[in-house]
Amino acid sequence: MYSMNGAFVISQSDKRPMYLQIMEQMKQRIAVGDWKEGQAIPSIRQLAVDLEVSVITVKRAYLELEREGVIVTQQGKGSHVASTPGLGAKLREQELEQHLEQAMRIAAMLGIQPKELEEKLREAGDRFSGNGNGKI
Amino acid sequence: MRDSVVGQLIWKDWQMQRVPILITIVWGAAALAIAPWGGVNNRVVGGVLFFIPLILMGHMLPLGGIGNERKKQNLAFLMSLPVSFIQYTTSKLISSLVIFLIPWVTLVSAAVLLVEVRGVVPHGSIPVLLILSLMPFLGFCLITGATLVGETEGWGIAANVLCSSTYGLAWFFMTQVPSLMVPANGAVVVWNSTELLILASEIVVSLLLLGLTYFLQSRKRDFV
Amino acid sequence: MSDLAIELSGVGKRYKYFALDNIHLKVPAGQIMGLIGPNGAGKSTTIRIMLGLVHQDSGEVRVLGHRMPTEQVAAKWDIGFASEDMRLYESMTLGWHMSFMQRIYPNWDSAYAQLLLKRFGLRADQKIKGLSHGQRVKATLLLVLARKAKLLVLDEPTTGLDPVARHEILRELTAVMAEEGRSILFSSHNTHDVEQISDQITFIDRGRIIDSMDKEMYLDRWRRLRLEVPHGVELPALPGIIGIKRDGRLAVATANAYVPDLAHAYESTGARVQRVENMTLEEIFVANVEHSREEVEA
Repeated sequence: MYSMNGAFVISQSDKRPMYLQIMEQMKQRIAVGDWKEGQAIPSIRQLAVDLEVSVITVKRAYLELEREGVIVTQQGKGSHVASTPGLGAKLREQELEQHLEQAMRIAAMLGIQPKELEEKLREAGDRFSGNGNGKI
Repeated sequence: MRDSVVGQLIWKDWQMQRVPILITIVWGAAALAIAPWGGVNNRVVGGVLFFIPLILMGHMLPLGGIGNERKKQNLAFLMSLPVSFIQYTTSKLISSLVIFLIPWVTLVSAAVLLVEVRGVVPHGSIPVLLILSLMPFLGFCLITGATLVGETEGWGIAANVLCSSTYGLAWFFMTQVPSLMVPANGAVVVWNSTELLILASEIVVSLLLLGLTYFLQSRKRDFV
Repeated sequence: MSDLAIELSGVGKRYKYFALDNIHLKVPAGQIMGLIGPNGAGKSTTIRIMLGLVHQDSGEVRVLGHRMPTEQVAAKWDIGFASEDMRLYESMTLGWHMSFMQRIYPNWDSAYAQLLLKRFGLRADQKIKGLSHGQRVKATLLLVLARKAKLLVLDEPTTGLDPVARHEILRELTAVMAEEGRSILFSSHNTHDVEQISDQITFIDRGRIIDSMDKEMYLDRWRRLRLEVPHGVELPALPGIIGIKRDGRLAVATANAYVPDLAHAYESTGARVQRVENMTLEEIFVANVEHSREEVEA
């Protein structure tokens, strides 16, 4: 029986608020398939104890995740991953989009045009497949 | 429920003061043991040695038991327990009295017995013996009260100094009172009004001091 | 029965050189409240008033429903108190203290006490005088924790501890929350600890409460805006901004009531918002205290 919360790490040096870190790590678990659609997840209180953080922080994370449709909390029954089919894949896609937006922002700061950015993306793709096994 | 917390506090004080009690009894007993042998000098030495532990007990016990507790900041720990300040005071007074009276009663009875049975000093000196023995008790009540009520060490120490310096004076004044000294050298115990008056005053003043302590403690608003 | 573990209403206390002024404080049951403030702010006095160890001059104090200081004995059955200046008996062992507590408190959990001995790296047969500072703090907290008290009131529980010891203690404090209905109030000037485990935060400075609210909401209200301001542009005073530091073309604005409109407002003046950053509780602490002192002096 492995610990569900073993790899959760809340970093003090990470500038982002704790609840965001918790949200991100929960989404990652779903994205990589460790937590499946519909699977039960720790209660708010239990996760707070395991992570050694305030209950209110975990509550906030759960609320936001529920708002985004990632998890579902039922009064008296605890929480579970939303049963949306393909949720994991959807989250991964969201992550990709976030990275792309970030790339756009940096490109804009450097004054790189979208066409040039497309070219860079193609080059990155070549490097990616060129190294085999999808390793960069 | 409440009594048992006070009981626990008294028990704790007893546990922590057992050794000093033992030492006092042993010392006093040793002094009594010396007295009957040899000549007058031994009597004097034995006599003085006898009173010293009583005085020391009366002074050191409150300073050590109570003053130390405050200085070493144990008071905050005690007040975190489910006791009121008055209950704490009660436990302190009871345990201090018990711890003082055990050796005191033991030694004074032993001394009286020694006089009665062995005639170490004239039998008639028993009333004076009792009067002298009550003085450390009086001092004890004063010092205990001062240490409990006073917020700093200074009060207990001041009371300590006051008592220590007055013993000698008191002893001297007593030797000037004929109605005390005359019967003291007699072979029979004589109880006259002067003796009884002094004994009664000592007891009454002691009780008043304890009562005053209680009263002053109950008026306090900040405990720790 | 109210669902507040602690309630202070208009509490005041005068000393020669210091005064607590009009303290209002509510700790909801089942939560952890962190009390932060600089040294001398009044944290310890406020805590002592909660325990009935100091009698307030004005105002009402209710702890677990009991009026303090009159009902302090009843209240203290359910309160576990530990303060930084509290000492155990040097000449006695930790085990003696544990037995002492066990005889008094019916809720004493021996199994948990043994577990804590292991977790804290302490031995029952050690005399208190032989313990280091950190071990003494842990020993005092062990005595409080093993009682499974309904309310824990802790005055600087992690002060002066090394990081490992601090972590050991924070772990046990958050574990208390596994049981609903148990509450903790702790004071600290270690903002990391408060930020990590508190549900509610109260700021106190110079005897007055500056802020008291939900931690997440509080952290959300504070932002640091890094601005690039062209020459000739004057930055306007905006509501929710408590301070602006400017150095040439760069400026930093501190907001204690942030809304995205603030960023837009700056941009409309010609300044460019480089970044909007969250602030750590430590940064908020300093900004808040400085700001409140300026306001008082004004």
